[in-house]
Amino acid sequence: MAAEEHGENIGTIILHHVSNSETLVPLHLFGLDISITKHVIMLWLAGALVTTGFLLGTRRYRKEEQPIPSGFANFLEFVVDFIHNQIVVPNVGRRYALFWSPLILAFFTLILTANFLGLIPFFDLIPGGGTATSNINVTGSLAFVTFMAVIVAGSLAHGVIGHWRNMAPKGVPWPVLFILVPIELLGMVVRPFALTMRLAANMTAGHIAMLAILAPIFLMANAWVGIGSVALNVGINFLEIIVALVQAYVFTLLSSVFIGAAIHVEH
Amino acid sequence: MEQLVRFDPGLIFWTWTTFFIVLAILAWKAWRPMIRALEKREARIHNALEAADKARQESEELTAKVQEDIRQSRQEAQQILANARSAAEKVRIDLEDAAKNKADELITKAHEQIDAEREQALREIRATVVDLSLSLAGKVLERNVTTEDNKKLVEESLRRIGKA
Repeated sequence: MAAEEHGENIGTIILHHVSNSETLVPLHLFGLDISITKHVIMLWLAGALVTTGFLLGTRRYRKEEQPIPSGFANFLEFVVDFIHNQIVVPNVGRRYALFWSPLILAFFTLILTANFLGLIPFFDLIPGGGTATSNINVTGSLAFVTFMAVIVAGSLAHGVIGHWRNMAPKGVPWPVLFILVPIELLGMVVRPFALTMRLAANMTAGHIAMLAILAPIFLMANAWVGIGSVALNVGINFLEIIVALVQAYVFTLLSSVFIGAAIHVEH
Repeated sequence: MEQLVRFDPGLIFWTWTTFFIVLAILAWKAWRPMIRALEKREARIHNALEAADKARQESEELTAKVQEDIRQSRQEAQQILANARSAAEKVRIDLEDAAKNKADELITKAHEQIDAEREQALREIRATVVDLSLSLAGKVLERNVTTEDNKKLVEESLRRIGKA
């Protein structure tokens, strides 16, 4: 009986730890509830870290004609070079790369920073989950940016009408279009939806797993269980670092693949 | 569970606000300048490598040309040497021939002179012998053998002796 009650508590605690906090600072704008919650703060923190990091690290690039990177700038240059030359240019093409690289870089740096911030237990001092990117509202908003970027990219490359006409490939018998066009329209929506769920679910799952593994310590009220739980959690934490990197990479890569597909229509 | 999938317009608003502020600031101040610098550096490295390649190629061509020139000069020098050698040989042979001819000529001339002188001497001896014979025969016969017939007779007999 007690265990059951305890188990329910554990479930609530875990859920509480991976979901957004209640309103911390109530705020309203034109009737819209824009109250500050923990995920908003974590998002701001990620944005502030990325912005200050890049602004401080790239002073030389704004001053000098031919800057030579050193120290932290080397790392930033590696990130920018990787996103630009390994992700954007191969998918989007050299012609539009300079236009789309900043967007893709913003995805990568913000998601990666938010993912890593969620791994730092320090932020659990504030009630609520620490990973902004585990919230589907956050990942959905970002995926919606990708959704709009695909339309903008297609319209810039083929014209507004041309982009929508690409849904119906040339040389296909017209009856097939009745199947093809709905599939294309569905794909348009499914892709960002998949982006949303993949990132949010991955960032939530690891935290749930870690908390669930720690739970037996309290359920059994036995410190010896902690040896196994903590050892296992250390391993999962390393795994989470990889997941944080991989999910930021996947979101970024798929976004540029979708944008590239709208520019280079294959059929 | 529903708190995991709760729709939260405020959070969506803040996500977009944060995202686009970060994007705007960094695209303007950091990422575009960085990408431009990277591309410029790439182009510079590319150009430098190309220039180095070109310079290497040029120097190789130059080396080949110089080597070809040296080879040609050497060939020419050899040709000149061979020509000089053959010219010298020709001069030597010419000189030798001329000298030999001259010597032969001299020898021939000497022979001719000797022959002529010997002929002259023989002729003189013959005349002397005829005179002597005649005077001796005259003295022996105690009579003058001055007639043309006798002289002819003796000369003929002497000629026979000379021939024998």
